[in-house]
Amino acid sequence: MAADEKLIQTLKEKYVTALHNMFELLDGSLSGHTGGSMSMLDIIIVLYFHHLKLHPTDYDWPERDRVVLSKAHCCEAIYSVLPELGYVPREALKGYNAYREPFQGHADRWATPGIDYSGGSLGQGLSFAVGMAMAEKIKTGVNPPESKIPQFLPRFKTKYNPAYRCFCILGDGECNEGQVWEAAMFANKYKLDNLIAIIDYNKFSLDGPSDDIMPLSPFDEKWRSFGWWVKEIDGHNMREIVDTLELANNLYGDGKPKCIIAHTIKGHGIPSWEETHVHLARGEGVKVGVSEGREIYGKV
Amino acid sequence: MAKYNKYVQIGEPEMPMMYVEPAMIQLAEKHENIMLVLEDMGGTGLKWFTENAPNRVIECGVAEANAAVIAGGLAAEGFIPFISSFDFAVVGRAYNQIRQSILVDRFNVKIMGRGGAWGDGGVSHNSVETLGYTRCLPNLVIISPADSVEAKKAFIAMTEYVGPVFFRQEAGPLPPRIYTEDYPFQLGRAYSIKDGKDATIIATGLMVGIAIKAEEILEKEGLDVGILDMCTIKPLDEEAIIKASVETGAIVTAENGITIGGLSEGVAAVLCENAPCPMVQFGIQDEFSQSARTLPDRDELAEHFALTPEDLAVSVKEAIAKKK
Repeated sequence: MAADEKLIQTLKEKYVTALHNMFELLDGSLSGHTGGSMSMLDIIIVLYFHHLKLHPTDYDWPERDRVVLSKAHCCEAIYSVLPELGYVPREALKGYNAYREPFQGHADRWATPGIDYSGGSLGQGLSFAVGMAMAEKIKTGVNPPESKIPQFLPRFKTKYNPAYRCFCILGDGECNEGQVWEAAMFANKYKLDNLIAIIDYNKFSLDGPSDDIMPLSPFDEKWRSFGWWVKEIDGHNMREIVDTLELANNLYGDGKPKCIIAHTIKGHGIPSWEETHVHLARGEGVKVGVSEGREIYGKV
Repeated sequence: MAKYNKYVQIGEPEMPMMYVEPAMIQLAEKHENIMLVLEDMGGTGLKWFTENAPNRVIECGVAEANAAVIAGGLAAEGFIPFISSFDFAVVGRAYNQIRQSILVDRFNVKIMGRGGAWGDGGVSHNSVETLGYTRCLPNLVIISPADSVEAKKAFIAMTEYVGPVFFRQEAGPLPPRIYTEDYPFQLGRAYSIKDGKDATIIATGLMVGIAIKAEEILEKEGLDVGILDMCTIKPLDEEAIIKASVETGAIVTAENGITIGGLSEGVAAVLCENAPCPMVQFGIQDEFSQSARTLPDRDELAEHFALTPEDLAVSVKEAIAKKK
């Protein structure tokens, strides 16, 4: 079922709200991985305001969907939605990157309610999401036919073992890490169809264009050959994101881990950041981008 | 035989893991959240798991980095995963993974490593540098048991402890049985095998057995030397180290590995800050290991690295000589 117009409209409004939150984060820290955060913001909005099963006042809720931000440097995108959902007070936006503040420089499970994985060292998130997905499979015993997991322990049945899904957000640059492919092989072996990897394919990493640094093409074929269900989408088209996530969700039970390759633009929506394919913006670079953004999206 | 402290009764050489395996099975029956996350290098109690709880065996293949992080993910969901291989693989190949995806959030993962100078694996497998690069990792508890009883008790203690632990096993000459079955092992506490007056050997793992032999040599020469078994290498039992320094005035540390960053540097730091006294580091200098055979009448590797009881006795005498 295609997403209705009203939902898309609401999500677009949330996008603008989150954007202003992100600007507030950047006002305080004057540094941030703005390029990658902007390229994945649409995806984050759809996930957090529509698709995920969450419980912001009980962030450890066992039934929640797990989100592993493997490209943890782009935590600003998630930080900008957490106060809207009630995980963290709004004041936290001012303390981004500051001492003893919930919003640390990289996503941090201990510091921030609503963050499931402390990342920063690239290429590990998918393995962590795989571990969490595996835990769900073992505990619930919800295994597709021919699964490599024979039977779960009867004693687990007596406990509260809810089903959940694991989402992992990866960058394209970190797919140069061998460990991503170790995890991809593993997910296929254990048929982790409760695992959804979303790749923010913004075509640029720190040193330059991904194709020059380490070509990933044919990217979709790589994932397919590892046994994954793959869908390529426009990562800035809300409707396509909504529909694809729903499609992936409906395929639960097919025994295949899911990979959504989202084609995105680094620094999307802010002209100076788009132009420079900014990775880490600092000082003046932040100020210019933020004032451009405020002009385009209006002051709150 | 009164010279040793309570719970010490020196016996025949034994393979410590023979006692760890049954302990693992007992624990696995009790805690159904214990998992084996394998790296194609076997695991403690694997046969039992395969036969009784195959869904608790997760085979990652030769992919140590992936296995370590998967273990972190499982631990985040309430499991107690065990990963095991040689030191260089289980820790060395997954060093940053252990730091980032296990230790930062104190996930309850147990790491079983095999290392030390001895072994037939050659330079790649006989890891002598492990303690140096693990001791500096925050949130990690490191244990290195001396005999089969301590191995079993330490294994149980580390499983009951909630948090990441590195359990170090060693190849080489089998350690003698040192403790009686009722030995009260405590995580983070050293045990004084023998009190002394002239010097104290602070040893860990395989070196405790060597220290016992060295002490016998020294006793014949009229020296009264204490032996402190430092099973928990991190956190170090500072109280016991200070006490040994105050009571005997000379310390010799003995470890199966490079002294840089190892037990000796840990002990030295405690001594310097609290109770300075003459000290000698007994271990391997800045050098890799190699293949060597432990024959009934000679231990090639101990001779190469000067790690025999006779060598240790010389080091103890050096430390005592420094007292004057």
